[in-house]
Amino acid sequence: MSTTQRRIIYSIILLLGFAWIFVSADRSGTSTAGQIPAPQAGFLAPDFELKTPDGETIRLSDLRGQAVLVNLWATWCPPCRAEMPAIEKIYNEYKEAGLVVLAVNMTYQDDPFEVVPFVEDHELTFPILLDETGDVGSAYQLRSLPSSFFIDRDGLINEVIVGGPMAEALLRTRVEEILK
Amino acid sequence: MIEAFRSLFAPPRHFILIVAALWIGLTLAEKRSEKHGVSKEQLNNVSFYSIIGYVIGGRVLFALANLSSFAQSPFSIFSPNPDLFDPTGALVAGVLVGTIYGQRQKLQLRGTLDALTPIFASLAIGLALAHLAAGTAFGSPTTLPWGIHLWNATRHPSQIYELIASLLIFGLIWFYRPDPPPGILFLDFIALTAGSRLLLEAFRGDSTLVLGEFRVAQIAAWGILLMALLASESIRQREKAN
Repeated sequence: MSTTQRRIIYSIILLLGFAWIFVSADRSGTSTAGQIPAPQAGFLAPDFELKTPDGETIRLSDLRGQAVLVNLWATWCPPCRAEMPAIEKIYNEYKEAGLVVLAVNMTYQDDPFEVVPFVEDHELTFPILLDETGDVGSAYQLRSLPSSFFIDRDGLINEVIVGGPMAEALLRTRVEEILK
Repeated sequence: MIEAFRSLFAPPRHFILIVAALWIGLTLAEKRSEKHGVSKEQLNNVSFYSIIGYVIGGRVLFALANLSSFAQSPFSIFSPNPDLFDPTGALVAGVLVGTIYGQRQKLQLRGTLDALTPIFASLAIGLALAHLAAGTAFGSPTTLPWGIHLWNATRHPSQIYELIASLLIFGLIWFYRPDPPPGILFLDFIALTAGSRLLLEAFRGDSTLVLGEFRVAQIAAWGILLMALLASESIRQREKAN
């Protein structure tokens, strides 16, 4: 291929590429993740309503305006247990600033009689919710435990952390992000 | 089948795909490194030091950017959690460490980049597979029959588009028969990758927009494509003049 031919081809490629930027511009807003609920960063957090072991009902959408950390966990899961003290510490540090922690126990795949003793042993003060049917696990497309969803004040998922245990610094950076 | 794949390599297991791609790329690159004036040992060393620079740099720069958080729990810097990581800073650190090693070993820059190209091309495949497994880099909603159900909508299978493009690019790079001047193979890879991103970003559902409607990644890809083509042309002209 001669130099001239190559340069013509390069110019055509660049012109077509430039035109494609305009042609494929997102005028319909499809490239924003959207306001549909899905368990992924940028989407609305799927709503749920669950009971605590005391029988109190908590609905996620009622917490709009506050930063929420939804942590999916089970008592048999070692990294879930390992990260609870750090979550408790961060909750105590930031609850006055508007942080809510919802620790959703995957009760449908856990021993329900282990939950309350675990919470008492670890002196956890944030709400523990019981997912007895697996609906929340399904809505959040749970694949690994623990899974944590950092939800901002508008109800949008800012970050998803799958696996653990989460380090204290990681919790702090992500919580500060959703409290903004 | 996609669901089974996504379950098997669900995060954080999707990192296995990237590590496997790195290993395959390095194994393949070794076979051709001598052709580019880089010994197998030098290739392994430059790769090893760059990876170390990438991993340590990514963690240290993340810690520096979030100093107040780490000041309260300094041992978090040793946490195995991969989310405590700054990918852009890691890339800069990896390139920097690789460059310093290359200069000390008096390696030719263009030949070394050509020798490393199969690794980059293989990593691109691994990254596409990791995106598919994690459901990240997802497509915009579509009614096309090959749409996949992801994040509660039928979407363009943008990760599969990315996978096909990266496989084609790998094939072109690996089976490229002519013997071009040093640096051209790498620049061809960069141009092809930028071109595919420019094309495929249009089907993404998570693009960052500028001026309300233009996709930042497309603009960046066009700029990179322009620079790669100009650099390629410049090398060819210099080779011709010599």
